[in-house]
Parts: sequence; C-alpha cells; structure tokens
Amino acid sequence: MRTGSFDRYASILFALLGAVFLLESRNIADSAYGSEIGPNVFPFLLGLILILLSVKLFLETVKTVQKQPNAQNPLQIKRFLIILVSSILYAAFLGMFGYLISTFLFLFISFQAMEKGNWIKNSIVAASFSFCVYYLFVVVLKGSLPGLPVWFS
Amino acid sequence: MGVMDFLIQGFQTAIQPQNLFFAFIGVLIGTAVGVLPGIGPMSGVALLIPVTATLTGGMDPSAAATSSIILLAGVYYGAMYGGSTTSILLNTPGESSSVVTTIDGYQMAKQGRAGSALSIAAIGSFFAGIVSIAGLVLLAEPLSEMALKFGPAEYFSLMLLGLAAVSGLAGGSITKAWMMTATGLLLATIGIDAVSGVARFTYDIPVLFGGLEFLTVAVGLFALGEVFKTILHKEEDGEKIAKVGRVVPTRSDLKQSAAPIARGSLLGFFIGVLPGAGATLASFFSYIAEKKLSKNPEKFGKGAIEGVAAPESANNAASGGAMIPLLTLGIPGSGTTAILMGALIMYNVQPGPLLFSDHPDVAWGLIASMFIGNLMLLILNMPLVKIFAKIIETPAKYLLPIIIAISVFGVYAVQATTFDLFLLIGFGLAGYLLAQNDYPLAPLVLGLVLGPMIENNMRRALTTSNGDFTVFIQQPISAFFLVCSLLWILVPFILRLKGKNVVVNIEG
Repeated sequence: MRTGSFDRYASILFALLGAVFLLESRNIADSAYGSEIGPNVFPFLLGLILILLSVKLFLETVKTVQKQPNAQNPLQIKRFLIILVSSILYAAFLGMFGYLISTFLFLFISFQAMEKGNWIKNSIVAASFSFCVYYLFVVVLKGSLPGLPVWFS
Repeated sequence: MGVMDFLIQGFQTAIQPQNLFFAFIGVLIGTAVGVLPGIGPMSGVALLIPVTATLTGGMDPSAAATSSIILLAGVYYGAMYGGSTTSILLNTPGESSSVVTTIDGYQMAKQGRAGSALSIAAIGSFFAGIVSIAGLVLLAEPLSEMALKFGPAEYFSLMLLGLAAVSGLAGGSITKAWMMTATGLLLATIGIDAVSGVARFTYDIPVLFGGLEFLTVAVGLFALGEVFKTILHKEEDGEKIAKVGRVVPTRSDLKQSAAPIARGSLLGFFIGVLPGAGATLASFFSYIAEKKLSKNPEKFGKGAIEGVAAPESANNAASGGAMIPLLTLGIPGSGTTAILMGALIMYNVQPGPLLFSDHPDVAWGLIASMFIGNLMLLILNMPLVKIFAKIIETPAKYLLPIIIAISVFGVYAVQATTFDLFLLIGFGLAGYLLAQNDYPLAPLVLGLVLGPMIENNMRRALTTSNGDFTVFIQQPISAFFLVCSLLWILVPFILRLKGKNVVVNIEG
C-alpha cells in the first residue's frame, strides 16, 4: 500500500470536517418539541467520533513505514484533465446551451481526448447519443429537459 | 391470507406486461453490467435509478415503486450472471464476486470447454436464485413479524449492528471504514431535520434544505469514481477472448457439478443474509469449501468444473439472500442493497417490517419477479452468451464518456439543478481518491441512507426514557444487538492483533 501521505492529509481533512460539524452544531437551536434530545446532539456526537477516528488514523500513518511506490503505468493526467474540465463546463452550461448541443460537444471532446482522430465517426456517435437520449426522454417519455439554447426558445 | 396467497398475488403483479418488460430490461442491462469490467453492480444500479424514475414517471406511486425495484433488482442479480462470462472467457472478472471463478473457469476455456463452464455457471446461478427466493418466501413473514415488535431502541441498535457489520468487513483498514461511516452519517444530517423542522448546516442555501440527494452522491461515488479511475489508469489489453464453443454442458459435467451447485447455493444464501458479508465472500468461501470436500483437490486450478459451479451459485444465492434483511428489517447489508433501499425511499416506500403489510404488492411482486427474472436470465444466457461476450469488445473510448453523460443526464433529469451536477462531479473525484487509497465507499453510502433513520430512532428512544442513554442496554433485544455489533468490531481487531489474516469483503 502506498497510502501513507494521502492518509495523513485525509486524516487532517476529515478531522476538520468533523470539527466543522461539531462547532456548527452548537449554532443549531437545541429546542425540541416534546423531545429530550434536540437536533444538535446527533451531529455533535458524530463530529466528535469523526475527529477521534481521524486522530487514530493519523497515529496509524505515523507508525507505518512508508513504502516506495511500486512502478506503475504513468497516469493519463492529460486526458483526465480534459475530460474533467469538459464535464465541469458541461454541468455549468447544460441549462444555458440546452441538452442537445452541450451533450454533443462534451461527448465529442471526450472521445477525442480518449483517442485522437476519426472525428467523423466520433461526431456521429456523439450526435446520435445526444439525439436518442433527448428523443426518448422528452418525446417518448414526456420528461422535461432544456432542449435548445435559451435564446432560441 | 397465507404466504401462498401473497405469492400468487405477487405473480399477478409480476406478470403484468410492463413489469415483465421491466424485469427483462433489468436482467439484460444487469448482464451487460456484469460483463463490462469497470462497472460493478453498485454503479450499475445507481446509474439506472434516474432512468427508471423517468420510465415510471406516469404511473401511480406504488406501481411505479414496484416496477422500478423490479428493474433495479434485476440489474443486481443479472450482474452476478454476467460477471462469470468475462471471468471464464477473458480471465478478467467483471465483478469482484467472480474473482474466484477465473481460477478454474479460464483454465476450462483454455481447454476448449468455455461453453460448458458458461452454461454450468448459468444453471448454477439459476438454481441458486430459486433457492434464495424460496428462502426469502419462507423467512419474510416470520422475520417481519418479529421486527414489528421492535421499538425505537431496538431499531437503533439493529441499525448500528448493520453499520458495524458492513464497516467491520469492508476493506483493509477498519479505522478508514468507520471514518467513512461517520462521514456518511454526518452528511445525512445536512438539511431540514425531520423531527424538529430545524434547518441544519444549510446556511440559507435553498438547494441544501432538502439535504444532499442520495442519488447524486451514489452515482458520483461509484459510477463517476470508477470512470475517472479507468480514464487515469490506462488498461493494458487483456488476454485474448477464448472461443465459446458448445454451450450445452455434457452429462458428466452436469453430474459433477450438481452437488457443488446445491452446496454453493445454501452456503451463499446464508452468507448473503448476514449483513456485511456479500457475494464476494460467499463465492470465496464456497470455492474453499469445495476444494476441501473434493476427493482430488489437485484438480482445482486446472479447470475443475466444481470450481466454477460452486462460486457462481454462491454469489447469486448471496445476492438473493441479501434482499432478506433489506426487505424484512429495512437494514441493507451491502453497498448495492443500500442503493436499492435509497431507491425505494425515493418512491416513499420504506423497506422494513411494515413493507409486507403496507405495500404487499411491492414486496411480493419483487419476490415473484425475481423468480421470473432468473428464468429469463437462464434463457438469455444459454443461447445468447456469444452475443454478451461481444459486449466486452465495446471500445472504452466511447463507453467512458457515455457513462459520464448518462450520470449527468440521470442526475439532471431527477434533480434539475446545476448544483447537483457539480456535487456529482465532486463526489466522483472524492470517490476516485478515496477508493484509490483503500477507503471503502459502501459504508459512506450506507451511513447516508441509514443516517436519518438511526437518528430518529435514537431520539425517539431517548425521548421515552427522558434522555437516559441506558435505555439501549436495558431492553434485552437492543442489548443483544449492541453486544453483537461490539463483537463484530472487536473480533477482527483481536484476530488482527494475533497476526491472523482477516478475510475482508472487497465488494462492500
């Protein structure tokens, strides 16, 4: 396992998460109609437990000897970042550009990122996926999705 | 009405044309999910929740819940069938529950007996499915009647036991598993508190008032997390796909595998009923058991048909057995059943003892449809296995972006907020990072699903006892559950201290 340093950061992060819930739970009104236990108790206890567990994990990482990471295939950072950024943009502009255009663009860019070239086939696959999903969902199943850009409708 | 009447009613529900259709689609997609490495049953079921939600949009709520749970459960046990195909033909398990099948299955394929191995796996899975449904029918009534007597204190302790079981068996580090559980429970507290109506951790952001949507979190963690992993880690081209050959098993194959199938089914069923232990452990144990029982154990690893028959029966029986605690007690014992439970709750159908009295059509319709679905799988798998084997060749460059697009579509179709899409991508990244570093994801989802119920039961129990925490120990049943959960935590811990290897559930 090569999880030593990740675990150290993760334990700090999870302890912070626990602390946020713990501290913020004190701002919740502890009034409870007919109940001894207000809505603040459960998150408070859990925050405390999460902090304690994080401390335990942190201590465990200190004890374990850091092993050298074994030789692995290099990570495909570039294509991952392209796809990640285009998914974020896809999520952000789905409502504005409509489903058909934004899905087509997202898929086309991602296909190209996975494997360059053959853009005719890629664009056909991307276009038919976005059209089929839109047709099935909106026309056949009568669901609602923004179809075309806002300025067209 | 007796059990038989309910079962007949269930069949009447299950053979309605739309439910037959849903069962068929479910097992078909399930088999595909099982065949495709990279998409497990958890992400498959999570991805399909929004699809089923839109498919059932026009129906009345109870019928919609029945139809969608029929489809989703079909995906679950269908994946168990499909998982064997890649194990045998490619030496690459499609699911973690088919890992042991590769040992003998691939050897059989190399010897040109792939067809026999595949058909025995299908027959064994079918038999196991029937065994687990019979068990479900027999145990459902008594268990749910017993659970009806439970008060809030018992429920709280029982759910704690469920969490302890899943966390205790998930992944390599128990600390990490518990951290995931606590995080899931904490995330569940976001939103408006159901008991007091007080908004918690919402900071007046409207989208947070409803809490984090379970669907978004599950699809992000499992489906997107796995996709991100496959994008980052380029997979080398695996071994060549073996020829399928004759699909009908020989008489001697059938004779040799009859007993292993029966044993595997029973063992798998009981392991499946236990919370925390799932299909992966079941297949693993039944393989070991067969090897121990066999007169010539040296055959194993060299293409023994028992080594395919037993684990494949066991993992299917376990997936059926796992439905029992979910349906009768409302406690999901694994990640996949937690997702099924989340889906039921989305339809306002609360799994648990009241399910059989409040929604008998849902419960019995599901049980009957599992019978029909298993029959469909047997028919589908025998002649069509060659076509399913072709699915493996789907190019990843199309598959991965399309899974992202389906996730985005699914979440947007149900939630229709950009916030949920960002949440989806965020949880996808978190899911990748956490899974990559041995943090099990199933406990987090389980915590998220069980969180509100645990909290409500805890508060109700404490209200009746005027804030006295000893109420959980004073009730004998509750105390029993608490002792069990304590043992579940302590026993592996002590075993580990003694330096023994503890078998853990990779599937979660």
